[in-house]
Amino acid sequence: MPSPSPARMHSFEVVSNEKIADGIFSLVISAPELARAIKPGQFVNLAVPGNAMSLLRVPLSYEVADADAGTVTLWYAVVGDGTHRLSQMQPGDNSDLLGPGGHGWTIPEGCGRALLVAGGIGVPPVLCLARELAHAGVSFDVCVGAATAEKLVGVADFEALGAASVNVATDDGTAGHHGFCTDAVQGLLAQNSYSYVATCGPEPMMAKVAAAASEAGVFCEASLERMMSCGFGACATCAVETKSGMKGACMCGPVFDAKEVVW
Amino acid sequence: MSKVDMAVDFAGIKLKNPINTASGTFGQGWQFDNFIDVSRLGAITTKGCAAEPWPGNPKPRMTEVPGGMMNSVGLQNPGVRAFAAESGEYLADLSAKGTAVICQVAGHSVAEYVAALELFEELCPWAAAFELNVSCPNIAAGGAACGSTPEGAAEVMRACRPITKRPLLVKMAPVRLPEIARALEAEGADGLTVINSIPGMAIDVNTRRSKLSKPTGGLSGPLLHPIAVRMVWEVANAVDIPVCGVGGVMTGADAAEFILAGASAVSVGMANFVDPTSSVRILEELEAWAESQGVSSITELIGALEC
Repeated sequence: MPSPSPARMHSFEVVSNEKIADGIFSLVISAPELARAIKPGQFVNLAVPGNAMSLLRVPLSYEVADADAGTVTLWYAVVGDGTHRLSQMQPGDNSDLLGPGGHGWTIPEGCGRALLVAGGIGVPPVLCLARELAHAGVSFDVCVGAATAEKLVGVADFEALGAASVNVATDDGTAGHHGFCTDAVQGLLAQNSYSYVATCGPEPMMAKVAAAASEAGVFCEASLERMMSCGFGACATCAVETKSGMKGACMCGPVFDAKEVVW
Repeated sequence: MSKVDMAVDFAGIKLKNPINTASGTFGQGWQFDNFIDVSRLGAITTKGCAAEPWPGNPKPRMTEVPGGMMNSVGLQNPGVRAFAAESGEYLADLSAKGTAVICQVAGHSVAEYVAALELFEELCPWAAAFELNVSCPNIAAGGAACGSTPEGAAEVMRACRPITKRPLLVKMAPVRLPEIARALEAEGADGLTVINSIPGMAIDVNTRRSKLSKPTGGLSGPLLHPIAVRMVWEVANAVDIPVCGVGGVMTGADAAEFILAGASAVSVGMANFVDPTSSVRILEELEAWAESQGVSSITELIGALEC
């Protein structure tokens, strides 16, 4: 039989839950076993109290896990009822989650320079990867974008991790380049020699990055998002169309080899 | 150990308790192995499989609605051969531990049901029973389900009946239930699973698009539980073959309603997504309820509705 999901049920307590940008929150939870087990690019599926009519969990990627402190930090955008309720949770509140789910980033063996491209609320898993790369002594460039300066997150964090360059873009030009964060990608790919491209954000953005990486002949991974009922491989609702058929984002992803994805 | 004997006879299968799982909500069982002891359940029903692989529908396949969810998975499945190769060993082991494995059979036409069931019969000796999902869109009928008319449902059962001696169940669409149930009973169905998800629609009013990749999807969850209880009661009163109740069971009391309405077994569906330990919790709650009713066997409570 195929391997079941690595996810387990964990109870958690909210340590803090603060707004860090327009419509974006940073949630720190205490969940010691999860903090030890979770790997960059994996996700958790949270039960969010507050609406008895809303039954399904909220799947979120994470930004950083601290095994010593037993905490996991999740950045999320308030986009619907579930994330709105999550934003109402207070320090000391308790609930449970299923995680860690799926498989995360696969940094190539002996990885040379890496290019990371993150858009909107796609930043957290990419920042998580940047931390891993910095720890491994791998040099990396970052392209990060958002709709507006007020919605932009992660720039200072990427800089603090020692990114070779952080290329900022906003749709309205209120920060950095006026345009998409993908505008810098082709130039960087031509300028530098990369052995790894990683991306998370809106799907059209990731499709562009995947195409550019493929043209440059660089291995590229993308973290995808889907509506999900269970998050552990039982419901078949989170399917991603790949060149070898439909695959569940919860088990075969959320990080996919970008050239396998039918964009 | 329960003071009440929880064992039931369902369509010729002896179940150690009435709790089953709804096809499509429980994977092939092994997905839940890290969360519960699956072998505590009376039965599991595996995700529907056709003779050949089906890719299923494009995204989005799911949207949440108040009190439930809607899906348009489109019965994505790897085909019976791959299913048996991937999950056969696990399911054979589960069957040896006394949990009945019911395999759901999918098809787009009578010929496809026959082809799938022939493969199941050959490759799945550990299966206790087969459940025909007659709600799949039938290509020959312009997309209407085979099971949406008494004639269509009877035709599938008539073609499938000679293929296996094992019990044949039918997962019924929530339409014309008593008459279709009688037609299936007449063609030799051993049991009926009532109900499949109810066709629904959810529209994003800003984009004017369906929230699913298709205009309609299957509605499930506790919001439809009272409808499912009524339908189980109608079917149980219409036929002599046993019924498995399905629809929005979140608690032991929900399962008990199905039993009182005449179901011999009860499947847990969406609750498996909300919390993968739900099925075992619901079993424990159902046992506690049966005890509270002062019976020695839960069979005394089947159809024991007083009104």
